Amino acid sequence: MSSASLFSVSDTIAAWLLAHIAYVFPPPVKGWLTSGDVVLGLTALIFSAILLGASMINVIVLIWWERKLLGRFMDRRGAMHVGFAGLLQNFADGLKLFRKDTVRPTQADELGFWLSPTAYLVTSLVIFAILPISTGWNGGSLPLTLLLALVIFSFAPLFIFLGAWASNNKYALIGGMRSAAQMIAYEVPILLAVVAVVVLAGSFDLTTIVMEQRNYWFWAPLFLALIVFLTGMLAEMERIPFDLPEAEAELVEGWNTEYGGMLFAFFMLADYVRYLVGSILVVLLFLGGWTLPSYVPSVLTSFPLAGIVWFMVKVYLVFGVFVWVRASLPRMRTDQLLRLGWMRMVPLALLSVILAALVVAAHCLPVLGCVPSMGG
Amino acid sequence: MWVNMGPQHPMTHGLWNLRVRIEGEIIKDVDPEMGFLHRGIEKISEDRHYNEIITLMDRTCYVAGLSWEHLFIIAAEEALHIVPPERAEYIRVLSAELQRIGSHLMWYAAFVQDLGLTTPFLYGMRDRDLILDLFQTYTGGRLTYEYMRVGGVRNDLPLGFTARCRQVVDWLMDRFVEYDRLCLSSTIFRERCDGLGLLSAEDAIAYGVTGPMLRSAGSRRDLRKDRPYSVYGQLQFDVATANTADVTGRYLVRMEEMRQAVKIIRQCLDWLDDNPGPVMASQLPRWLGAPYAPVGNEAYLLKRNYPTGLGFSMVEEPHGEAGAYIVNDGGEHPYRVKFRSPVLINIWAAKRYLPGYRVADIPPIMGSVDVCVGECDR
Amino acid sequence: MAESGAQAPAPIPGTEQRPLLWVTRPLATAARQFAKSLWRPSTIIYPFERLEDPKFRGEVAVASGKPIGVGEIWDNYRGVHALNINTCISCNLCAFSCPDVCIEMVTVPGGDPKHPKKCPQIDYGKCSFCGFCSDACPEGCLSMTTRYELSVHKREDMVYSPARMFEVFKSKLPMNPIRVERPKNEDQILLDPPICIGCNACSRDCPTQCITMLDIPKPTPKPGEKLAKRIWKEPVINDSDCVRCGTCISVCPKDCLFWGTRQ
Repeated sequence: MSSASLFSVSDTIAAWLLAHIAYVFPPPVKGWLTSGDVVLGLTALIFSAILLGASMINVIVLIWWERKLLGRFMDRRGAMHVGFAGLLQNFADGLKLFRKDTVRPTQADELGFWLSPTAYLVTSLVIFAILPISTGWNGGSLPLTLLLALVIFSFAPLFIFLGAWASNNKYALIGGMRSAAQMIAYEVPILLAVVAVVVLAGSFDLTTIVMEQRNYWFWAPLFLALIVFLTGMLAEMERIPFDLPEAEAELVEGWNTEYGGMLFAFFMLADYVRYLVGSILVVLLFLGGWTLPSYVPSVLTSFPLAGIVWFMVKVYLVFGVFVWVRASLPRMRTDQLLRLGWMRMVPLALLSVILAALVVAAHCLPVLGCVPSMGG
Repeated sequence: MWVNMGPQHPMTHGLWNLRVRIEGEIIKDVDPEMGFLHRGIEKISEDRHYNEIITLMDRTCYVAGLSWEHLFIIAAEEALHIVPPERAEYIRVLSAELQRIGSHLMWYAAFVQDLGLTTPFLYGMRDRDLILDLFQTYTGGRLTYEYMRVGGVRNDLPLGFTARCRQVVDWLMDRFVEYDRLCLSSTIFRERCDGLGLLSAEDAIAYGVTGPMLRSAGSRRDLRKDRPYSVYGQLQFDVATANTADVTGRYLVRMEEMRQAVKIIRQCLDWLDDNPGPVMASQLPRWLGAPYAPVGNEAYLLKRNYPTGLGFSMVEEPHGEAGAYIVNDGGEHPYRVKFRSPVLINIWAAKRYLPGYRVADIPPIMGSVDVCVGECDR
Repeated sequence: MAESGAQAPAPIPGTEQRPLLWVTRPLATAARQFAKSLWRPSTIIYPFERLEDPKFRGEVAVASGKPIGVGEIWDNYRGVHALNINTCISCNLCAFSCPDVCIEMVTVPGGDPKHPKKCPQIDYGKCSFCGFCSDACPEGCLSMTTRYELSVHKREDMVYSPARMFEVFKSKLPMNPIRVERPKNEDQILLDPPICIGCNACSRDCPTQCITMLDIPKPTPKPGEKLAKRIWKEPVINDSDCVRCGTCISVCPKDCLFWGTRQ
C-alpha cells in the first residue's frame, strides 16, 4: 500500500503554492499567507478540486465503458472514432450539450426548474468526499461514513421530484412520482443489506469495513445481501430493469422530459455519478475494497497506487455487471417493482441479517473455514 | 386526465395519436386518431399505369413492400385477365414469405424496444438485414423493391440464389431460438406480457381484427389456408395459433409464423430449383410491357378495345388480412382502386383491448399490434 | 382486469420456453453474444468498410456463422444512373416511363441544329429509384449503377445533367445487368392512309430512322373533284427496328398514326 494520501498530497501542493505566492508580498501579508489556517484552507480547496476532477473524469470514462460494453452485448461497436477507441467521444458529447441552449417551458416553475439539476448533481458529487478509495485516500474518516453516504445518496428523489413538478409536464410528473415511490421503497432493503455488512464488520466506517475484509471478502457469507444490495442499487440508480421513472416507451423521457442542453447534461452526469457511487459501494461493502486476497502474488500489490488501481478495476467490473443486466432484461412495471421490493427483497435482506448474525455468533465462516480472530 | 400519446411519442412507431383517459394508472378510455400520414395513394393510383402503382405499393407499408405488391398484383391480374406463369407465382410466394419474416423481425425489434430491451432490438434489426440483402440480390432494392409486374415478376432469380437463401433461413432458424431465450425465458418479460391486452376471438371478429391478433385468440383463420391464393394451395404448412389471446400469444404466433414461413420458403426453393421457365406472361397489353410509351392520340383512345373487368384480392399480409379492389374500365389506368388495411382496424379495436390496464401496459399491448402507419393511413 | 371474455392464458405445448431461474437464461444469452462479438461484431464500419466489399459477400461469410452481408449480386442494385450519351437515341421512353416525372429531356451537343439531340436529365430530389427508366431504355444506354451516395449541399446539385451521368458511365461502375424482355405481342404503329398528308414529320423525328417515306401513286382526279393538297408520300414503318417510343404519334400533325396490331 502506498503511504501517500490525498490529504498529504494536497497539503504539499498548497504549501508549495503559498510559499511561492507569498514571496512577492510584503512581510505582514507573507506571514499571514504562510500561516497554518490559510494553508489548510487552500489544502481543502485543492483537495476538493482534485476529487471533483478525478470523479468527473471517472464518470465520463464510465459512460464510455458502458457504451463499449453495451455495444458488444448488442453485436455492435460502441463509440470508436473520437480519440483512442472512442474515449474522447463523451467529452465531445458533453461539450456539445454544454454549448446548447437551455429552454425553459413558459409554464414551468423557474426556481425549481433551475435548482433541481444543480442540486441533484451536487448532492451526488458530495458523496465522493467521504468514500475511501484506498488507505488514506479519503476526505475524512468519520465513524459513520457509510450511513452518511447512504443518506446523501437518498436525497435524490427529492430533487428529481422537484424538477419533475417544476417542469409542469404530465410525463415528467408521472415519472417523478414513480421515481420517488421507487427510491423510497428500495431504501429499506438496501439499508437492511447494509445492516448485514455492518453486523459482520462491526463498524459503520467504510475504511474499517474494508479492513475487516482482509481475510475474506464479505460477498461469500453475505451472498444474499449482495443480491439484495445489487437489486436495490439498480432501483436506486434507475437503470433497466428498474428504469421506469424514465420509461421512454410510455413516458417520453420521464422526469427529465423538459430538460435539454446543459441541464440535461447535469442530470445525465448526476445519474452516472450515482452509478459510480453505487459500484464503489458494492466494491467497498462486499468485494474487499482496495484489498486483494492474500494468495495474490505481492508483485501485483506492491507497485505505487496499487490499491487505487485494483479498486478501480473492481469498480468497473461491478459496473460491467450492471451493464450486463441492462443488456438482457426488459423494464418492469411499477406495481411489480414495488411488489418485488417489499415482498421479496425485504425478507431476503432480513434473512441475510440473520445469517450475518449467525456467522458472527459462530465466529466461523461457512466457505473459508474458521477464522478465530473475527471482529465484531 | 386525458394524456396524448402521440403524434410525437416513442410508443406510437409512426405518426398517429392515442388519446388515453387515465384515472391514476388505470386506463379508462382510449381514442385512437389516425390519418396523419395520409398520402392519397388510392387517388394517385387512378392516375397511374398499373405497373407504376407498384411503386406506391412499396410505400404503402414500408416494412412489407412485397406483400403489398403481391396483393395489388393479384387484383390487377384478375381485373386485366392476365395469367402469370407458375414460376412467377412461386417467386412471388417466396418473396412474400421472406417479407413476412422481415416484417415480423421488424415487429420484434420494435416490440422489445418498447419493453426496454435494447439488445434484442439490435438482434432483430441485424437479422432483418439478412433478408434485405437477399432482396437486394434479386430485386435490386433494399426497402422499395418494385419487383413484381402485372403478368409476372421483373426478372428471374439470379444464379446461386436458392443456395444462399437456404443458408440464410437455416441461420435464421437458430436465431429464433435465441429470441425466445431472451424474451420467453425471462420472468420479467412474461410478467410484462402475460394476460395483457386480452381480445377474445368473438370480439376480434366483431371488430374485424385479423392476422396474428386474431390467431392468438385461438382462431385458425388464415387466408393462405381458407382462401388459397397464388400457389399457397400446393404448399404444406401449418397455421400458427395460440389460445392465450394476450401479448404473449401474439408473440408466440408471430414467432411460429416465421418458422412456418421458413418451411414455405424451403418448398418454394425446391420447386424453383426443379422448374426453370419464363417469369413473365408472354401476352400482355402494350402498355403493360416494359417500355411505357405515350398512349397516343384521340383517335387511338377511341379505337381501344381492351377488356374491362373487376379485380379483388385478399392476402394474408404480415399484419393481417389486406384487401384490394380494382375497377378496370379498359383504360391504361385503373378507374378506381380501394385497399383494405388490417392495421387500421387492429388499432381501432384498441377501444376494446386497452381499457382496464395500466399506463405502463400500453407499450407492450400496442407494440403487439404491429402498427405500420404507412399502411394504416395509405 | 379487462372484462374481455378471453380464455385464461395457457401455455402452448412445444412452442414456448418456460422461465428458468427467473432471468438467468436471457443473461446467459446476452453473455454468449458478448463473447461472440468480442473479436468482430457484425457492424460494418460504413465509411471505411462497405457492404459491396467482396469480403462481406460470398460463401465464406455465411459458412463462418457470421453472415454480415450476403449481397452476391450487388450489380443488381438500383443506384445512380449511368448514361451513355453516345448511344442514346433521344427516344424519350425513359421520361415517359418515369412515375415521378423527374426525368427531363435536355439538349446536348451533338445533334444537328434542326433536330437537337436530347438526353435525359434526372432530378434525384424526386427520383424514387424504381428502375422503370432503365427497363424502358431500348438501347441499354441508361442503366443503374451501384453508386448510392448522393448527399449534396444544394438542392440544385441533386439534378444530374446528361454530362454528369456520362461521367458516372465513364467511371465503369458495375451496372444493373438485367434487361427486361419485351412482350411478344407488342403493338405496332399503324397508319390511317386517307388522313396522311405525307408531311415527313414522323420520318424526320424517328429516333431509330425506321420510318421511310415511300412514294404513293398520285390518283388521277375525277372530273370535278379537287385533288387533296398533300405530298404524295406515305410512311412505311420497319417493325423490327421500331422501339415503340411513340414519337411519330406525338409529332403527327394529322393524328393519323396509332397503336394497333398489323394483320
